[in-house]
Amino acid sequence: MKRYKYILLAILVSASACRKINIPPPNIISDEAVFSSAAGIQAYMSRIYSTLPIEDFRYSPQRGLNFFWIISPTPATTGEALSRDQTGSMQENIGGWNWDMWAGCYNEIHDCNYFIKTLPAYASKFSADQVKQWLGEAYFIRGMTYFAMVKRFGGVPLVTDVLNYTVGGDVTPLKIPRASEKATWDLVDADFTYAMANLPAVNADAADGSRANKYVAAAFESRAMLYAGSVAKYNNITLFDGSHNQLCGIPAADATAYFQKAYDAAKMLDGVYSLYLKAWSATDKAAQYQNYVNLFSDASSPENIFVREYQYPNSVHGYDAYNVPRQLIGPNGYSAEVNPTLNFVEMFDGLPKNADGTLKTLDATGHYNLYTNTMDLFADAEPRLRATVILPGDVFKGQSIEIRRGIYTGAGTSISPLLPAGSKAQYPTTNLVTAANNDLNNSNPYTLPGGGQMKPAGASGIFTGDQTCAISGFSVRKWLDPNLPTAQVLENNEDQTWIEMRYAEVMLNRAEAAYELYSGGGSASLQTDAFTLINQIRSRAGANLLLSAGSMTIDTIRKERRKELAFENKTYWDLKRWHIFDKEQNGTIYRILMPFYSAQAGKYFFDARYDERNDVYTYDPRWYYEQLPGEAISKSTNVIQNPGY
Amino acid sequence: MKKIFYYTAFCLAVAAGTSCSKIDNYPAPSDTINGSTVDEGTGNTVQTEIGGGGTRVKLLETSYSANPVPEYFQSKQDGTFSDDKIFAATYKVSVEGPFVPLVQTDASGNVVSDSSQTVVLKGTASLKFKVQPFLRVEWVSKPVFNADSTVTVQVRITRGTHDPNYQQDVTNINLYVSNTQYDGNNNYDPRYSNLVSYNGSDGTSLLGQVITITTTGGAMPAQDVYFRVGARINAGLNQYNYSTPESAKYP
Repeated sequence: MKRYKYILLAILVSASACRKINIPPPNIISDEAVFSSAAGIQAYMSRIYSTLPIEDFRYSPQRGLNFFWIISPTPATTGEALSRDQTGSMQENIGGWNWDMWAGCYNEIHDCNYFIKTLPAYASKFSADQVKQWLGEAYFIRGMTYFAMVKRFGGVPLVTDVLNYTVGGDVTPLKIPRASEKATWDLVDADFTYAMANLPAVNADAADGSRANKYVAAAFESRAMLYAGSVAKYNNITLFDGSHNQLCGIPAADATAYFQKAYDAAKMLDGVYSLYLKAWSATDKAAQYQNYVNLFSDASSPENIFVREYQYPNSVHGYDAYNVPRQLIGPNGYSAEVNPTLNFVEMFDGLPKNADGTLKTLDATGHYNLYTNTMDLFADAEPRLRATVILPGDVFKGQSIEIRRGIYTGAGTSISPLLPAGSKAQYPTTNLVTAANNDLNNSNPYTLPGGGQMKPAGASGIFTGDQTCAISGFSVRKWLDPNLPTAQVLENNEDQTWIEMRYAEVMLNRAEAAYELYSGGGSASLQTDAFTLINQIRSRAGANLLLSAGSMTIDTIRKERRKELAFENKTYWDLKRWHIFDKEQNGTIYRILMPFYSAQAGKYFFDARYDERNDVYTYDPRWYYEQLPGEAISKSTNVIQNPGY
Repeated sequence: MKKIFYYTAFCLAVAAGTSCSKIDNYPAPSDTINGSTVDEGTGNTVQTEIGGGGTRVKLLETSYSANPVPEYFQSKQDGTFSDDKIFAATYKVSVEGPFVPLVQTDASGNVVSDSSQTVVLKGTASLKFKVQPFLRVEWVSKPVFNADSTVTVQVRITRGTHDPNYQQDVTNINLYVSNTQYDGNNNYDPRYSNLVSYNGSDGTSLLGQVITITTTGGAMPAQDVYFRVGARINAGLNQYNYSTPESAKYP
């Protein structure tokens, strides 16, 4: 009988005694194996670098860090862009992330602490320089990790040594309360300062910017200290624990010291890195455009400070698959997830503007201006804009990217606006031929009065039904690989390098810190320094130069930063640290630009209007400090939740 | 098949024989805390918005721990609150919302005033919190339809506190339109609501005056809708103070 066999088996299993063996378990890698060879260290490093919490191609506020599916892209939460899958403001959805922000960071911190504690015991196996560099890298990564936490949560529990728990032991010492926000920023400062002092000028294991050197640490020190200074100066949310530690907020008096640290750290990179100018020409706008495009794909760029490299098939992303214009859609679908808003485009130079700074689309009599080609409106556009945003009719991958909302069939002269100024209503259906989706667009061409046929919408939209198109009238250009064949535009297939830190940001950090110091009573030379730096950025971009240092305000510098670092997942954090998110997104509906073709006139006109979906963006001021995950508090009840949650 | 059956049956038998036999027979929480947040100047309840952006009640179960993890429940829109699923225990109760905080700390974290109430909960406890709202929004003239089917309202906004720490400038005065009474900054129709942000002291200068606001976006659709005016100052979490919601009959 079979059943007796099973009963017998059960008895055997439960009755088998244990026998002591003294062979180390072969499936657990010992310290000895890892820490006694350079290859072991390399393996340890590659793991802690790979989980370094940075907002790269695999980040979105909705789905978190290191996740492949980016259809609620970060720029669609900041006003840089609209996306059909993102319909309003949001805080980071930390609880729903694949990579646990809280526990993941403490794992990373543990791995750094363990490395820092263990490596010295094996120091004799390596040269003194190697040990110094590796320790510097561990401190750098720990500093980066605390930076990622403090910018989200404010003060967090500070762990700088390896915590040990013996089963059944007392957990009280492990219930570390949150430190003050200031103490957390100061730990970030201390870790980066250690890294700056101990790392070599060139990383001996990887000189391509994928691992830290002293200047990488300095660049992030400038970013972090600028963040801390901004919190001290602009934050008005406070939270204290029972022992008077300020968990949220930093006393305003500390702002200057942080701005000074940001300034000094940024200055360290002076002459070591430089703006990318390989294809640039002072007089040629086309060269300026091409130079700005190349900057994001040239591995030898002197502007790249710290990068994250991808490699097929081990570590991949799908940026192009999600973001190519609709007409260049890849084999597995998606496209056009990031559609820059008109509000964003209007920040740039070289566009015809009204007195209030909005794009001029009407003539003096209040009728639409007519253009032979859609690009005529953008004939003098700043080259950086063209390299950042695909404008309707601009060329990408050898194709003119056709963006058209519809065909206007009314009279072709003195065309009045389709809707009253500022209207949030739908377009009227009379005199307009439009398409709900790509198939209907292809199957219903409109016969033009002069002969010939034209599809109602452009090949890249706008399709009123499924919205898989340039819903704002623009499509993103930055980061897209112009040489990637359409058959390769696939999810989980790309290995374009992410540039996390480039010299332009360091210059902008320095300019902003200098101006904050100047406006806080610092010397006029700081103002001049900021002025010079901003003009260097503008010159490379092909933008108009500032005429005088005195004409500059803090908003000039912020605006420059938002243009230069757009679509690099930086604006989200800038709006937070400036504490202007809730003012910018306060019942806000972003604006879009809809190109129409007038069949009678044979020309194009543009209608600037509010987002047709009427998606309202309202940033809740509570979100300046993220909600701590519930399990962080239930595991360690000394941890206090942020205000309002 | 037979093998799998026996194997499964055996595993189940082992599991049933060894698993814990205790059942969770602790009675469900059934005590109630209710009450209201009342403007100490007017005696009216303090209007708020539903959801996370409005008034909430904070419970500290001091009989469980000297330093308990706080629990919260949201107030209703009209400023009253009720929760009938609370365990009998001793609680320190306070409310948080668009009014001068009941628990105030100074710049270095010292508690300078604490108007929390402590209740030994057994059955039902009714609490009334007297607070000073940042702003009071009162109707002067309830919503009326104009000839062009837009709607105009008139309100008066005044400060509800003399506390020098809460005299910040008025940053927003908004007329919200919604097809439910749960009108507020988190629930309104953007086509018709009229949202105005103010810089500097521009909004503050309107305090005490009759403010006339008309809906935007042209004629309202033919349905009965609710109107509410919200205003806020730049303090704390920038929550709004509201008027009562008012409906208007489509003519």
